[in-house]
Amino acid sequence: MTRDRLAKISLYGILSAGLLVVVGPFVWMLLSSFKPEAEIRSVPPTWWPSTWTFDNYRTLFDRLDFPQYFTNSVIVAVLVTVGNLLFCSLLGYALAKLDFPGRKALFLTVLGMLMVPGMVTFVPQFVLVSNLGLANSYAGLVLPFLAGPFGVFLMRQFLLAIPDDLIEAARIDGAGEWRIFWRVVLPLCKPALATLGILTFLSSWNNFLWPLVVATTDDKYTLPVALALYSIGQNRMYFGLLLAGAVVVVIPVLIVFLALQKHFMRGIATTGLK
Amino acid sequence: MRKRWLAAVLLVSVAAGCGRGDGGGGDTAQAVKDGKATGEITVWAMGTEGEKLAEFAKAFTAENPEAKVSVTAVPWDSAQQKISSAIAAKQTPDVSMIGTTMQGEIAKTGALDATPTELFRKDAFFPGAWDTTVVDGTPYGIPWYVETRGIYYRKDLAAKAGFPDGPKTWDDLTAMAKALQQKAGAKWGISLQPGKTGSWQSILPFGWSNGASLNTGDKYTFDTPQMAEALAYYQSFFTQKLSPDNLPQGALEPAFVRGEIPMFMSGPWHVGILNEQGAKDKFGIAPMPAKQSSTSFIGGSNLAVFKDAKNRDAAWKFLAWLSKPDVQVKWYQAVNDLPAVQSAWDDPALTADPLLKVFGTQLESAKSPPTFPTWTQLAATFDVEAEKVCVAGADPAAALKAVQSQADSLGTGS
Repeated sequence: MTRDRLAKISLYGILSAGLLVVVGPFVWMLLSSFKPEAEIRSVPPTWWPSTWTFDNYRTLFDRLDFPQYFTNSVIVAVLVTVGNLLFCSLLGYALAKLDFPGRKALFLTVLGMLMVPGMVTFVPQFVLVSNLGLANSYAGLVLPFLAGPFGVFLMRQFLLAIPDDLIEAARIDGAGEWRIFWRVVLPLCKPALATLGILTFLSSWNNFLWPLVVATTDDKYTLPVALALYSIGQNRMYFGLLLAGAVVVVIPVLIVFLALQKHFMRGIATTGLK
Repeated sequence: MRKRWLAAVLLVSVAAGCGRGDGGGGDTAQAVKDGKATGEITVWAMGTEGEKLAEFAKAFTAENPEAKVSVTAVPWDSAQQKISSAIAAKQTPDVSMIGTTMQGEIAKTGALDATPTELFRKDAFFPGAWDTTVVDGTPYGIPWYVETRGIYYRKDLAAKAGFPDGPKTWDDLTAMAKALQQKAGAKWGISLQPGKTGSWQSILPFGWSNGASLNTGDKYTFDTPQMAEALAYYQSFFTQKLSPDNLPQGALEPAFVRGEIPMFMSGPWHVGILNEQGAKDKFGIAPMPAKQSSTSFIGGSNLAVFKDAKNRDAAWKFLAWLSKPDVQVKWYQAVNDLPAVQSAWDDPALTADPLLKVFGTQLESAKSPPTFPTWTQLAATFDVEAEKVCVAGADPAAALKAVQSQADSLGTGS
């Protein structure tokens, strides 16, 4: 009994310490976004603001066309996420369950793409997009990210675990390939889709360099680009604006995460099982 | 690190992909047609400049009713990548603001239009600022605003230490830092940047003040006795424990206000930061301490027109307007950017401020590093070596030899 208790207490102790390390910086970010610039810079840093101010947020919203940037970010992130869910699961299904000539070569190509760092293809990709006349358009912001090798790989690995018998049974019952995919396979993929959805949304939401380069006028900027406009100067940083901006960027991600959390956890658990 | 690597990749891709085999440098400037500016002029500008320029340009469009100025604000973060990629894809605007230290790399891609010299008088600008536009003997663009470095000190503590007017010479600076520690009771004597990114901007002024030059003709010369002496002098502040060598970012200003760090070296933007922190009127600024001369670093931004500009002539006319002395004064009043045009400094708006005067005088002789395309890469090497010197006590001469050998293998890039 006491041993159990001791184990429990130490477990909670370790978990709380871990939580503090993970959540601490976020709490400081949130609290400090309400501090004046001088207090943020004070050493040693303080937790609780001695003077509360909304100036950072006010400046942020006054100086930036916020609704515009927010809408841009949402449009891009949602389209990219939907595209990834659709195309990666389609291709992942084909690679995992369908037998066709060149399957192995296709899979190796996907794996190969996974190993090319994005920085290398950055400029050629932009040249391509701008030659297609898509610079400074939503299409230019979204198209290159509609499907990614990582998503394909993730979906294929997950789909491998789905028993072939299930698909055979559906086929015997007279279901066409589309029907099998939509009605049998996809519903079983929910955990993997949730994982892929969150990861894609996150990377698209946080993407900085691509939107910065593709958008040649500021009405096509996404949030991270817009927030960098005034918080980082040539020779100094404006920490108040930076922190307030970070809070504003984090909130939608938190909402998405909380909404998908249940599936997400299951996704990680099942991938861990294999 | 990742960023630096990306910049290098971008540069290579730009060089390979831009399709201008000739590269920049040695262009002859085309004339600009007379008359008023017409049509849309697209401009990229960073940070506050990008925020305020559109409104400010209304005075220009009032004079040129058929012209329109469209400004896109660009973040400073990764601005160089944005411009490089735009050049590669031919998606450049008519005009872009370009940080002085990026100038060599960008001009070398061959994407910038040579400055039509009939519109601009070279000697109207600070000579150091004009030099930042010149690549391979041809000016590409004009200086827009400038900044330079001086020594900030706490007036009260400086008086206690026996140097009420700040340091005048190298010997003064050392003596003053010691006195601030011993007589005025400060924890440190001064704060100098201990290597790391951008520290070359603090160290080179000591070299220049000691008569060093970073290049002779088209060759880098880091490994000179003058530069070695300057770096050794810079190092002495760390070996004598006069300057901290691991100050966290943002810790300097509060420590200055508390009097723990009574002196540091920085540019004009620190006036605003110190005032915000409650040190208004408590500090003075001295020019670079002199050895052979008092020579500081000149930075800031240039404005350049791209060769692919759709509205080239109007773009140059817009730049000519921005570099009029009275417009430069108004721009200073709008965003606090220090004018690059010398005669603008005669305006009461600038002469009234004694702190500004220090920078104004310093700017007349301030220098910039050579505009070789490989400069940003070498500056990074310099910063790493400088850190070894300041923090780990490495031999200054050996560090400069290391920079020099890197410079020799990279070449100037021209």
